[in-house]
Amino acid sequence: MANLGRAGRTLIPVAIGCLVTAVVFAQTTKPTSSTVRLKPDTTSIATANDDDTVPDHTVRENSVPQVLLSRHLMREAGVLVGDVVTLAADADGAGSTLFRVAGVYEPTPDPRKFSAQRLEARLHLADLIGLAEDSADPASGDIVSAINLALLDRKDADAVAAAIVRRVPGARVSSTQPSNSPNDPFAVLERFHWAIAIVTVTGSTAFLLALMIMRAEQRRDIIGILRLLGVPSRSILLEVLLEGLLIALGGAIFGIVMAVAAQGAINRFFQWRFDTTLVFVRVTAVIAWEAVAFAVPLGVAAGLAASWTLMRRSVVSLVGR
Amino acid sequence: MTSRALAWRTITAEPARAALAIAGVTVIGALLFDMLMLSQGLLVSFREMLDTTGYDVRVVATDAFPGRVDITNASEVAADIAGLPEVRDVAVVRSDRAIVVVPDRPATEVALLNLSEGAERQGWRIVEGADLGAIRRSESSPPAVISRSLARALGLRPGSALPLRVLISGAASAVPLVTFTVVGIAEFQFEGNGAEALATTFDAFQRARASMSSDTADLILVASRPPIEAAATVAAISARRHDVHAFSNEQIVERFNENGFAYFRQISFVLSTITLGFAFLLVTSLLTVSVNQRLGQVAALRALGVPRHRIAATLVWESALLVGAGGLLSLPTGWLLALELDRILRDMPNIPERLHFFVLEPRLALWHLGLIALTGVAAVLYPVWVAARLPIAATLRFETIS
Repeated sequence: MANLGRAGRTLIPVAIGCLVTAVVFAQTTKPTSSTVRLKPDTTSIATANDDDTVPDHTVRENSVPQVLLSRHLMREAGVLVGDVVTLAADADGAGSTLFRVAGVYEPTPDPRKFSAQRLEARLHLADLIGLAEDSADPASGDIVSAINLALLDRKDADAVAAAIVRRVPGARVSSTQPSNSPNDPFAVLERFHWAIAIVTVTGSTAFLLALMIMRAEQRRDIIGILRLLGVPSRSILLEVLLEGLLIALGGAIFGIVMAVAAQGAINRFFQWRFDTTLVFVRVTAVIAWEAVAFAVPLGVAAGLAASWTLMRRSVVSLVGR
Repeated sequence: MTSRALAWRTITAEPARAALAIAGVTVIGALLFDMLMLSQGLLVSFREMLDTTGYDVRVVATDAFPGRVDITNASEVAADIAGLPEVRDVAVVRSDRAIVVVPDRPATEVALLNLSEGAERQGWRIVEGADLGAIRRSESSPPAVISRSLARALGLRPGSALPLRVLISGAASAVPLVTFTVVGIAEFQFEGNGAEALATTFDAFQRARASMSSDTADLILVASRPPIEAAATVAAISARRHDVHAFSNEQIVERFNENGFAYFRQISFVLSTITLGFAFLLVTSLLTVSVNQRLGQVAALRALGVPRHRIAATLVWESALLVGAGGLLSLPTGWLLALELDRILRDMPNIPERLHFFVLEPRLALWHLGLIALTGVAAVLYPVWVAARLPIAATLRFETIS
């Protein structure tokens, strides 16, 4: 029915698709991780083996204690599994101990450290204490950097944190749950991405409206003839509405497919760039629905707004008489 | 009629359409301009911040900078460095975390700072009250200069009492409270959102830490003697002291560029690419639909003897007028948008007030206009191809019978 050029018919869904893609990326291009364990800053590269990643059956096969090294540290230090390495808690190497590398592990991805080299090692607790203990300070063997707590009910996190701070003045207690603070870095990044999404949608809406006005102008003759034949304006508008809906849906689906296809490439690029397994872009169902909820009504509304101007004209002017 | 005049008439014949197209290019162009600013903003801003402190070399204990390891025997190291012929001035920076416990107010974590005597003017600017030097030798309670945000948060003024307890990480400790007296309120060089600061004298700093004997520091700031370059000073310090590591401001910026700021540079790259592709597709769509709408007109012009290159030139002018106007308007729009985006991002904790994510630079504006122009040229290629290969007779016949 439409006297629209083939290229134009193809490009409008593409344009809507781009809009959807841009909204999806603007919403998701940020580091995300399903689990994050926060630890206080420490100058030592050694951390206690708190998740049993050092295999017990290999412990102390011989007199040299064993250690697991992160993939980054293995590469940086140029060591292999089975090598004997020296670890020391002090930068000058004082009190160093020999360890045999029992294996390599991938550090848990942490959005707060995604650009940092994860030069880490996992030791048995006894080995770590032996390495870090200060013989002049008997209490130094009983110091921990962090204590991880598993609560019976996650909702109690704030109350538990407050109770600990009251009992242990000076302790820093933080929940692994996302912070509700507006100053939380990820909340700020989310607002930033939303702002970019809104700007993108504003710009593309202007383009879309311009395209739809041109498209409506192209159909002026046909609409005039239909009205001369007695087809009511409501039916013509309904047809425009349905056609706009189909184009917008097509564009939205195209956009989501584009976003899903591109997310792998973007993740691989960032994972390569920052040498991490962190997932940077994840097109979730919620985000896809949000993008569709933005794009489809906008596409339909733009089509209707453009056609409405034609409906208000007289039939005679529409057919050029 | 020239191609430019014909393009102008074509655009002005449909003012609403032209206005919408220019508005679209303006908004998308503004976003592109912002992404270009974001790619460099933090680095430019950070470099400015470092340079304006008056020190061009930083000395730290570890080459894993910015990881924090204390410099031991800091006063001796600083005196040794100050004796080098390349060095004009040296300042020792000590810091620790502490909790301020003001009655009826929530406990507030602060950065407790100490700069060596004479370096205070580089670290903060007094906006109310007096500086530490004014009562440095007083026997009364230790003096403190506090940041404006801390003063606002706790309702403190010069003369207020400020009880404080240092937090010692990695040690079992119950350091007693030390009550300071606020002598001044200042704007700190690296003051930031959510990062409250409190500066005091060396004696008071040691007293608060309950460690009168240790002489550690976070870093030592060094100013090179003009006209000696920072690189030469770094080399001299490295040759003199093997227990510390010296970095020029340039090296520090480069290190932050590799690690700390990389995310924003990468995201600006991704979003710039998407924005450019987006603008290209939309302008191409607009011009293609516009050409399709005027196929009869183009065929008639060709039949009248107007050559292909003039038709192409008309379309290029049309693109240039739309994209050019939008591109120029996108500069002020982008700057206004950047102010708002910068405000959003600066809500992050511990961002110094003088650090900005978006910094306007003339060369970025030129880059932006160049990219927009390139997009306009690329976008017009397909419509020009459509118009140039148009079969004149068939098109005129189709237009007549339809």
